[in-house]
Amino acid sequence: MEELKIGFYVCNCGTNIAHTVDVEGVKEVAAQWPEVAIARSYRYMCSNPGQEMIVNDIRELGLNRVVVAACSPRMHELTFRNACRLGGLNPYLFEMANIREQCSWVHTDKLVATEKAKALARGAVNRVRHHEPLDPLSAEMCPETLVLGGGIAGLTAALELALAGHPVHLVEKSDRLGGNIARVDLTAPYFYSARDLLADRLTRLRATPNVSVHLHTQLKNLSGFIGNYTATLETGNGDSAPRQKTIHIGNVIVATGYKEFDASRITHYGYGKLPNVITSFEFEQMLRSGRIQTQSGRPPRYVAIIHCVGSRNREFHSYCSRVCCMTALKYARELKSALPECYVSDIYIDMHAFGKGCEDFYRKSSEVKTLFLMYGKNEQPVIRKADAKDDCEMLIEVDEKLSGERIEIPADMVILMVGMEPRPDAGEVAHLVNISHDKDGWFIESHPKLDPVATTTEGIYIAGTCAAPKDIPDTVAQARAAAARILARIAKGKIEIDGVFAEVDPERCSGCRMCNELCPYSAIEFDAQAKRSHVIPAVCKACGCCVAACPSGAIKGRHFTDQQIYAQIEGVLA
Amino acid sequence: MSFEPKIVGFLCNWCSYTGADLAGTSRIPYPANVRIIRVMCSARIDPTFVVQALAQGADAVLICGCHPGDCHYSEGNYKAMRRFPLLKQLLKAYGVEDDRVRQTWVSASEGQRFAEIVTDLTERVRALGPSRIHPELLNDQRER
Repeated sequence: MEELKIGFYVCNCGTNIAHTVDVEGVKEVAAQWPEVAIARSYRYMCSNPGQEMIVNDIRELGLNRVVVAACSPRMHELTFRNACRLGGLNPYLFEMANIREQCSWVHTDKLVATEKAKALARGAVNRVRHHEPLDPLSAEMCPETLVLGGGIAGLTAALELALAGHPVHLVEKSDRLGGNIARVDLTAPYFYSARDLLADRLTRLRATPNVSVHLHTQLKNLSGFIGNYTATLETGNGDSAPRQKTIHIGNVIVATGYKEFDASRITHYGYGKLPNVITSFEFEQMLRSGRIQTQSGRPPRYVAIIHCVGSRNREFHSYCSRVCCMTALKYARELKSALPECYVSDIYIDMHAFGKGCEDFYRKSSEVKTLFLMYGKNEQPVIRKADAKDDCEMLIEVDEKLSGERIEIPADMVILMVGMEPRPDAGEVAHLVNISHDKDGWFIESHPKLDPVATTTEGIYIAGTCAAPKDIPDTVAQARAAAARILARIAKGKIEIDGVFAEVDPERCSGCRMCNELCPYSAIEFDAQAKRSHVIPAVCKACGCCVAACPSGAIKGRHFTDQQIYAQIEGVLA
Repeated sequence: MSFEPKIVGFLCNWCSYTGADLAGTSRIPYPANVRIIRVMCSARIDPTFVVQALAQGADAVLICGCHPGDCHYSEGNYKAMRRFPLLKQLLKAYGVEDDRVRQTWVSASEGQRFAEIVTDLTERVRALGPSRIHPELLNDQRER
């Protein structure tokens, strides 16, 4: 084995570290440690001169290991790995000691903080001795994509990919494409017809080769890894035995959408009992048919719209469903235009009018003589059947917040603005494609701000309302973003797989298969002939669960080996 | 001089290590007794890491992972959770007091919680005094 030459660098971080840690003291003690060829300190190691110092030392002194004691590796590990690469050193022959976030920023006693910084640095130096050079692997990228869900998100994403010339498998559970948007009349705030929006997508989709639409179809199984997935689809409408089909795909877009809140869960609104209490979707149906009328076939004289049905409520869903406020205002406008004599009451908690054109839409809607009544989150209105003398179908009692009074208003029709909730099978879908969902059941993105359509599973993307309530423009933007991410991957042709993964030593593997079951990604396969397990590197996420569990000690977690961690333990305690 | 325990903390990269970093960026002070070692997931923490730390002179060991249900690898923390009672049983047999080895959950947003955990653990171990590891544990570990 070649002689170790470790370069040790300690950062002042201006005064962020140097204020609490005796940086020079750390440098001097590190210089004495075995195999440390050079120890330096610098004002800002992450700056260009700081990085160049590392690059030059690697080249001139022939360093084969580098340690930087500075901020958190979550901050600059990649920066320094890159500096190593520039110097000609494999980036994994590098280690960081976190002496800022986990030392100088949380301690005040300089003596104590310096001792701790030395211990952390010694842990890193000890660890880096056992580091091994790792190289990324390369795999083919299959240009075909599976899109789950035939709503506006799925249609848009499929169209985008197909227009770029790549085959798409569009899978829809129901008997037709369109999803929830097919149930909507006009859209807020510009009154575009949802039917036109959808017709545009569908016409273009039909005119585009490359898209195979699978109706009455569900995903049953998904295995493999980015660029190389195998999906099992099951088609069947209940009339005949379901048929299964296997397809090979590189990426998956999950665009499974939402379902509306079940209004009958809020008993005092009387949905399902009072005939003229309807949901927003049922009202859309009336608008689409052009007949706004009560159960008895008469146009309503009084219509009340209640916001936040199932949303912004601790008992049901704590989140805002985002589209209902503008939709409610749209109803007020449409009602006033169809039935100018109709009294419209809009009973809301807060009016959420964010988004392009929405505040203007709010202002214009309030000019059409709508009565706005504000209720408290925990003081929901109560609907009861009116008496014969009341000259209306129902009476609604509201603790009106702006006036501070309990107000009773008449209604012939009540529209409940039902919120969005994850589809009942969202958990199943998440499990099939190995992504996570949050406490409410929405799928989780890789990073909420910087990586919104990717997930923590490579090659699986999410778009639209399966990730959280959103309106049509945001849904379309996400669908196109997901398609663009995939197109970028396809354009590259090959995919690079991180060199950090687990590997099984076949000599030591007893074939007990314990690891097969433990792996959350099914990345470990069992070779029945050799009676040994092996890891598929591209599928492995390097969590190390199998490494700790293997009773034979046959699994090595690259870059987090037992040896490396033992050495670090010894170092921090020395 | 009063006894200052040495504590080794094994923290998962995604939640707890980030939570500890947040304690730093928020400048929430805690005792300097803990030395943190980063692993990708709490499920990677081999029981021998804990034994090794105690054998090398740690007075306490802290294991932190994502809260149940929040694991970056979907369920690694549950596996870590199930292994822990076995380890505790073994350590008990070697005379390691219950307070010296703790497994708990810290999310990426819980810098304050991390600081409180370290403060509490340090105080408890200070009260316990230096670890007196049974010689057999040391020997058993050396033979590995």
